[in-house]
Amino acid sequence: MKSLNFKSRLSWLWSEYSVIFAFLIIFIAASIANPRFLDINNQLNILMQVSIIGIIALGMTVVMLSGGIDLSVGSVLAFVGVVTVLALNASGSILVAVFTALIVGSFAGFLNGLMVAKGRIASFIATLGMMAAARSIALYIAEGGSVSGEVPGFTLIANSDLWIIDYPIIIFLVMTVLVYILIHKTRFGRYVYALGSNEKAALLSAIRIDRVKLGVYTLAGTLVGIAATIETSRLNSISSSSSGVQYELDAIAAVIIGGTRMTGGKGKIIGTFFGILILGILNNMMNLMNVSPHLQGFVKGLIIIIAVVFQKRD
Amino acid sequence: MPTNSFMTMNNIEKSFNGVSVLKKVTLQVNHGEIHALLGENGAGKSTLMNILGGVHQPDGGTINVNGIDAKMTNPRVSQGHGISFIHQELNMVSDLRVYENMFLGSELLNKIGFLKVDEMCNKTSEILSKLGVDINPKEYVRNLDTSYKQLIEISKALLHKSTLIIMDEPTSSLAEHEVERLFELMKSLKKSGVSIIYISHKLKEIQQVCDRYTVLRDGEVVGTGSMENENLDNITKLMVGKSISEERFVQKHDFGPVLLEVNNLTSPGLYKNINFTVRKGEVVGFTGLAGDGRTELFESLFGYRNKYTGEIKINNQLVKIDHPYKAVKAGIGFIPKDRKENAIIKDLSVMHNMSLSSMGHIEKFGYIQEKAELEKFHYYKEKLNIKVHNPRITIDKLSGGNQQKVIIAKWLEVNTDIIIFDNPTQGIDVGAKREIYQHIVSLAEQGKAVIILSSEAPEVLKICHNINVMYQGEIIARFTGEEAKEDEIMSYATGSKSEVEKIG
Repeated sequence: MKSLNFKSRLSWLWSEYSVIFAFLIIFIAASIANPRFLDINNQLNILMQVSIIGIIALGMTVVMLSGGIDLSVGSVLAFVGVVTVLALNASGSILVAVFTALIVGSFAGFLNGLMVAKGRIASFIATLGMMAAARSIALYIAEGGSVSGEVPGFTLIANSDLWIIDYPIIIFLVMTVLVYILIHKTRFGRYVYALGSNEKAALLSAIRIDRVKLGVYTLAGTLVGIAATIETSRLNSISSSSSGVQYELDAIAAVIIGGTRMTGGKGKIIGTFFGILILGILNNMMNLMNVSPHLQGFVKGLIIIIAVVFQKRD
Repeated sequence: MPTNSFMTMNNIEKSFNGVSVLKKVTLQVNHGEIHALLGENGAGKSTLMNILGGVHQPDGGTINVNGIDAKMTNPRVSQGHGISFIHQELNMVSDLRVYENMFLGSELLNKIGFLKVDEMCNKTSEILSKLGVDINPKEYVRNLDTSYKQLIEISKALLHKSTLIIMDEPTSSLAEHEVERLFELMKSLKKSGVSIIYISHKLKEIQQVCDRYTVLRDGEVVGTGSMENENLDNITKLMVGKSISEERFVQKHDFGPVLLEVNNLTSPGLYKNINFTVRKGEVVGFTGLAGDGRTELFESLFGYRNKYTGEIKINNQLVKIDHPYKAVKAGIGFIPKDRKENAIIKDLSVMHNMSLSSMGHIEKFGYIQEKAELEKFHYYKEKLNIKVHNPRITIDKLSGGNQQKVIIAKWLEVNTDIIIFDNPTQGIDVGAKREIYQHIVSLAEQGKAVIILSSEAPEVLKICHNINVMYQGEIIARFTGEEAKEDEIMSYATGSKSEVEKIG
């Protein structure tokens, strides 16, 4: 009886936190395979590389918990970046640029939310439309090329550090904590889970599900705005054609590896956090081991599928 | 035993989780007859038919078809014996054509595996014309009336050369002229030697088409015979049983002022001209058959449905409710039926389900206070006797009765003045049922206005001060709880009595 109980506890632990086990296994394997992996600079480098996708993946987690998906994040990032640089150069103020990024990102998300909540369009379709439209407007404004900032100091956002930790890493960690609190400690988070698990029952529980949906997509857009600021600041420029390409796929991959259910209602922010770290370590390992960049997508694809197979299905 | 017998089920027994559902039930159907299977909800009709259809396995008893002992181990075996089951919800793929639906799963193929469309169409036309209907086999099913869909189901049964067709409440979604068409068809099937088991609540219809009947009550056969020399009142009595006035939970007490007043509420196709009032401290029941419109009526009142005309007054104030949120603000709580689809959030824990509609009560500066939430949980766990050891397990791990109690607790915490219960004891064992009745009654004693929707007449008799009977979207009769008789309610609910509205 006791061993059965132990077994059931173990299987519970596995089903709830399998992504952390997977992370530990991959982490240990990586440190054995290459001693340079454990180097503190390499570790920080990994965190730095995943911070942008990580911030986007946090928003994606919330959207997917609510039973939706947001395909527009990559294109919106490029669009927000272009507009931000224009605002920066026009105003000469970094503060104005950052506010522009947040507002434009949130507004794009809000539009997604309007289409999903009020227009009753499937989120896949609505955000697919936004994906095409946002990219197109970015290309139009930047005439297909890149735009660069002309205000000194803007690059400091992504290229400064506190002690040895870069700002983007700090922003990513802070955002993780904030979204974690929002999802697990507030009414909004509870409603998101309810909505993703059983929309009709949520409505019959007197939840204003339209507002929750608007909130979910707007939040995702705001996080894209933050990610866009970092992306633009890092190189002091943004490319309307190549920035943010396939970011939606990486973000979705991190969410899925993190154990969030595609159809909503089940998942954790902490899962996404480790999901994004797993992706980062894999990329880093392949670089250290000189795997052809053309093969890296293959490995990533394999990991996503393995992760989903191993996760407890219901 | 007459030699004409085509199918016999002998001494069938079945229990679920130790609860006996069928006790030595014998059903005998002759060649070419329409046999009515009658009984109230929960009498065991569907279980019996599911055993015949191979969905469930009996614990005891035998089935004999055409002189051969048959073991219905799965639905395919049952079909192999010539039995077709037409369910209440039709299994049609509406985006396919008529002939495609007819041959779904048994398509005719030529040598290289392509579909023989022409041959399938011809066969379809052949059978349809035999039934006296003229539909193009290439028509899409979504473009057809419901009655035609029923005909296609029947044609499918004929295509598989079925000799016994089970029809479960086939007329519940049909208009009157469509019912006529179905009955003519049933009569012509009968002439060609096909037997039909006809399940329905509508006694008038049964008198029209059926030859013999069998009545089930609480899993036992309480009567069987020929329809010809039987009057409907006797059958109703058989269905209801003699122990009519069981204990009443609700006591007579003085009511307060009118809390809820509904005038002329109408929603085309669902319900029409609904008028009623509910006073403080009063328990009002609404009963009727499936599809009588009562659920839709109260879903409108709760703001889940928006398309209606008429007025709703709460505390003598006209209110416009178009979202459940507004209903709660106006003071209405609603515990829906079909718990799994409408009430529980299966991925959330027991505790989180309980607090979902009253998050404001456990918040401080926008944060959920887990301690306060836990306290609420323990309070209601004690109060409603909810059997759960860990508040953090997901709600789907609880039994039906405990799930329902959690949902009730959720709405008790919202604390609205008006509480609507839709089928509050659906799929719940007897013990939990009693507890829920007592809670409902005590709510009324505290001065709440309570509305009970139930398809089970005994339930509303037990706990309601006043009872409204609905039939096809209208309130057709009103009784006070003390004077109402179950068989009388059934007569109105089944449409066999439909005089001018009776006000009790």
